[in-house]
Amino acid sequence: MKKVIQFTLNGNEVSAELESHKMLLEVLRDTFEMTGTKEGCGQGECGTCTVIIDGVSIKSCLYPVFEVEGKSVTTIEGLVGEGGKLHPIQEAFVEKGGIQCGFCSPGMILSAKALLDETWTPSDNEIKRAISGNLCRCTGYVQIIDSIRDAATRLSNQDPK
Amino acid sequence: MTDYSFIGKEIPRPDAPDKAAGKALYISDLVKPGMLYGKIKYSEHAHAKIKHIDTSKAEKLPGVRAVITGYNTPEIRIGFMKDNFALKKDKVRQFRDEVAAVAATDPEIAQEAVDLIKVEYEELPGVFTPEDALKEGAPLVHEVDPGGRPRKDNLIQLPWKWTEGDVERAKQESAFIVEDHYQTQRVQQTCMGTAGCIAEFDLQSNLIIYSKTQIPYLAQNDFNQALVAMGLKGKSTRVIVPYLGGSFGTGLDTHGYEYITILLAYRTGRPVKILLSRAEEFSNLSPRQPSKTHIIQGCDKEGRLTFREVNMLLDNGAYTSWGATTPTVMLMPISTLYQVPNFFYNAKIVYTNNTYCQAMRGYGNPQATWAIESNMDQLAEKAGIDALDFRMINRNLPNTESFGFKITTCGLEDCIQSVGEKLKWREKRGKQKNKARGVGMASLFHTGGGCRIYRSDGTGIIMKLDDFGNVSVATGGIEMGQGFNSALAIATAESLGVTPDKVSVVFGDTATCPWDVGTHASRGAYTSCNAAIMAAEKAREKIFNLASEHFMSRVKSVLVKKKKKDPDFQMPDFDFESPRDPSEFELKENTVFLREEPDNPLLRISLGEFLRTAHFRNQGTMIVTEAFYDPNNGMLDPKTGKGNLSATYTWGAQGAEVEVDLETGEIKILNFVSANDVGKVINKQTLMGQFYGASVMGFGYALSEEFKTDKGRNMNPNFLDYKIFSASDLDFPLHVELIETNDKEGPFGAKGVGEPGLVPTAPAIGNAIYDAIGVRIKSLPITPEKILAALKEKGKR
Amino acid sequence: MKKFDYYQPESLNEAYRLMEENEGRARYIAGGTDIIWRIKQGVIKADALISLRRIRPLEGITRNGGLTLGSMALFRNIEKDSSIARDYPSLTQAVSILANPQVRNVATVGGNLCNGAPSADSVPPLMVLEAVLTIEGPGGRREVPIGNFFTGPGQSCMDRTEILTQIKIPKKVFNSGSAFLKKGRVSQDIAVVNAAAFLVMEGKICRKCRLAVGAVAPVPLRLTNIEEMVEGREIDPELLDRVGEMVERAVSPITDVRSTENWRRVMSGVLVKRAIQKAHKMVD
Repeated sequence: MKKVIQFTLNGNEVSAELESHKMLLEVLRDTFEMTGTKEGCGQGECGTCTVIIDGVSIKSCLYPVFEVEGKSVTTIEGLVGEGGKLHPIQEAFVEKGGIQCGFCSPGMILSAKALLDETWTPSDNEIKRAISGNLCRCTGYVQIIDSIRDAATRLSNQDPK
Repeated sequence: MTDYSFIGKEIPRPDAPDKAAGKALYISDLVKPGMLYGKIKYSEHAHAKIKHIDTSKAEKLPGVRAVITGYNTPEIRIGFMKDNFALKKDKVRQFRDEVAAVAATDPEIAQEAVDLIKVEYEELPGVFTPEDALKEGAPLVHEVDPGGRPRKDNLIQLPWKWTEGDVERAKQESAFIVEDHYQTQRVQQTCMGTAGCIAEFDLQSNLIIYSKTQIPYLAQNDFNQALVAMGLKGKSTRVIVPYLGGSFGTGLDTHGYEYITILLAYRTGRPVKILLSRAEEFSNLSPRQPSKTHIIQGCDKEGRLTFREVNMLLDNGAYTSWGATTPTVMLMPISTLYQVPNFFYNAKIVYTNNTYCQAMRGYGNPQATWAIESNMDQLAEKAGIDALDFRMINRNLPNTESFGFKITTCGLEDCIQSVGEKLKWREKRGKQKNKARGVGMASLFHTGGGCRIYRSDGTGIIMKLDDFGNVSVATGGIEMGQGFNSALAIATAESLGVTPDKVSVVFGDTATCPWDVGTHASRGAYTSCNAAIMAAEKAREKIFNLASEHFMSRVKSVLVKKKKKDPDFQMPDFDFESPRDPSEFELKENTVFLREEPDNPLLRISLGEFLRTAHFRNQGTMIVTEAFYDPNNGMLDPKTGKGNLSATYTWGAQGAEVEVDLETGEIKILNFVSANDVGKVINKQTLMGQFYGASVMGFGYALSEEFKTDKGRNMNPNFLDYKIFSASDLDFPLHVELIETNDKEGPFGAKGVGEPGLVPTAPAIGNAIYDAIGVRIKSLPITPEKILAALKEKGKR
Repeated sequence: MKKFDYYQPESLNEAYRLMEENEGRARYIAGGTDIIWRIKQGVIKADALISLRRIRPLEGITRNGGLTLGSMALFRNIEKDSSIARDYPSLTQAVSILANPQVRNVATVGGNLCNGAPSADSVPPLMVLEAVLTIEGPGGRREVPIGNFFTGPGQSCMDRTEILTQIKIPKKVFNSGSAFLKKGRVSQDIAVVNAAAFLVMEGKICRKCRLAVGAVAPVPLRLTNIEEMVEGREIDPELLDRVGEMVERAVSPITDVRSTENWRRVMSGVLVKRAIQKAHKMVD
């Protein structure tokens, strides 16, 4: 069955007629042509499909798209600001070596954002827990953890607005 | 010591911002107008005759544009022995055999059509271990060889037998000998980005293929041969490589699915994309070569190695790919890890109905080193010598030669000592058994200066400067996440005299990037950076030649303009007339200046401005240079088996401290050190990243990863049951030490480092477990089940 | 991906109605993290899914002396509830290491129970805390002690029209402690074995003992014989060894792609022992 679903995508009100059996991942990539969110397994195991919905991290490959109605979705593209300015978390990943092949990076950065939206002083254990659902085969996680720690510092040093 | 501007620093990768923003495009993201989607039908048996393929229902499904089988397409043989086929006819020999394929307007329709294809099989008995495959009367996996001659058994005739000295005599003269058997399992590369390709033909029937490959030029060669088989001789192939999403060896060969995509594209006249699902990535790509090793080593009373004898049995699987050539790399540690005066190495490779294997990071070295380094500890114990001291006694030395391998720089001693220090070896080794804790170590020896396994080991570079002082460097090498682009940008910047932000790396297009044999064997940065240094030198020469003609006249015209604007400006007393020599100039930080007055702001011209001057005038010029760097190494001689495969070698040692839970057999890593002779650090950030990543991949190999098969069927084709480490498994410190030996062959002294970081990880952990609880597990992965069973046998529970 | 219709009722009655209208072709869905994958694999066939996410009364977590969890309570919210951490630590321990954050943000305790995996992490704590489940359907409402809920691997005593609505846990008793432990191949894993223990102590003597172990039988097991053996005794090493031996005999694990029968058997004993020790330490 089809239904017109309205939701907020990266701060913008959007709507589209969507099919009931589609998962949010496919809709983001195909209907909205935002390829930053990846399909690494389609099974909810690898985390490359992670997005943020109403402030919490979700695996979009297992998220029935009708459920997104009325909700606010943030993808990796939504973190990039005016003029291509990277979000402090993205900047931290760039500066601290948290990115190698980059396939896990969007999901990893969003899991980091979900954590850092709750606290700017996460312990290393909290960081590891926050990204425990995001697999990476390249980095061995060390520089990812460094990047998230650095992102926390950047965020706490930011001018409160 | 040279003072470098960029070499050795931590510099963010140039491709990182796009990847952080989600803008980097991988094969899964690419779309072409009019593109169709392909899906493959795989065999339902490990070994069976194909009686009949009924594609009628599939062909009628709306949205289906082509259905192909081995019966309605030209035969395309693939693999270096040409014993494999793009689509299978007559017989299937493994579960992952491709028997049919569909192209349709969307992937769901394509999959539905695949499910409608009915294949009738006559099942045949299969062989699933090399031992069974070698038994008298065992069913033949291949009845004929690629030349059509009847085969008599499943043994593959490959010349993997090497020896030096007199092993039998050495056995007689040894004071201590230890013999044992070691096994390694199949593991999968598990790139986060799954494999796939898009193929399309232009109006002249030339092929363009977007491929997840590490070998664009060798793949081009393979695909050109496929075109010949398709009746398109003389047509060309262009290979384009997007961001890879990891590779780890998966892209080192061409695969059935790529040829199938090409066939579908040709049949439909439209671009076709095949993207492997995660399950297909596990079951239908080729994992790491498993191994069964019988090893015997001996030493004299003083602990000096006298001989090493290794016999291996390798399960080739149903078709031959690079897994069968891993012995050529295993020869390196077997003949040369530690000073071994006599050695013998024989590897038997056997067809079975299991999945076939190909390259994976380390390419045989982890398998061989598991056996060698575990057995070294056994021998040290028998000789009554501490395991670290034993390794020091036998350590390789710089400027020596072993079986044709020319060792130049060698930091092994420093690596071993570094591990010993960081682990507090003297305090802990043999002293924590009451807590079921132990320390262990292992060393590595790997190619670090290219690897000559093909007629050329070269890499070409084209260096192009533009009117704004930007430099683009085009190379056939591939960025797969390892930091190749970054190393190349930094080496270019340092050797040319610009800043790294001015350098962009163009890769992955055979139409525009010069030839490279392939990004493998840890050779990427090594060869491309050396080529960049050569091309940069040529560019500097051109720039300074131009400067000798035009620099001072440009300075003069700038000053004259300045005087016109500001009459009070005092014209400096420069000699504008005398001819200048190129050697008077220097280029640094994007600026051309006179060496004798480096700080005079009036005698500096930005590179961009200078190049515009040279370009925009009568009979102007622009700067484009090229270089082809082919390392000074050699292939293995077919008669003697000797050859200096690499222009320099990477060395390292790793150590682990572990604690074993005696009730559960679980292993907890308490501390881990990886110390590596890297020649010279080019980009510290990406270099550390390679070693962290490799270590964690090594932990998986040692402790948790296993590609499980049951009569040829892959039983765990998903992350639920194929366990790689997540961040929450890293609950111990992981130290990486970098030791610089400044190799003169290497770019700025650097060696290749993509692979070494996981070579000795498993034996380091295995040796630590033995120190902790006196139990030695000889097959990987080391699981709690195996530990408990071994403890029980030992009577410790 | 197989196609299915997707309905989002806002009340139980609406859900029943949709189930009746779609007789034979529909299933209820909670967070979906188990069911969607199985539909993708073709293991479950469903032409329609009836989501329970919009039925507000099912979401809540209520402290009312005891603890009432709505079946659609998210693991994330259970994990963060400090009163649950204080009073029912085994439940918090289980929920906080179940899967990973993204899954915990959508997965529900009801979904975990109805999925019926013998390895479900939320089950051993709920078993030792003697949870009672409220099951509702068009025909009415019934209360089922959790020990009677599971009838086989992936199977429960509910029929297709019924919905699990509440999980009720009795009031915390003084001098009690509970703990949960899990073994996996790596830290992110389905339980190879999991176990929970709940103790009520009187000085050194254990007055009440509840033990449960999962992934080692067709259903999660309550170890009533062993509980009776422990009650009335001191928790000492000799008792614990006996517990371990008895647990090994009580379970019927299998060898599968994850582990061996033998290791699971040994681990059951070890985990139950250690869960008792941990619960003992948590006694206030």
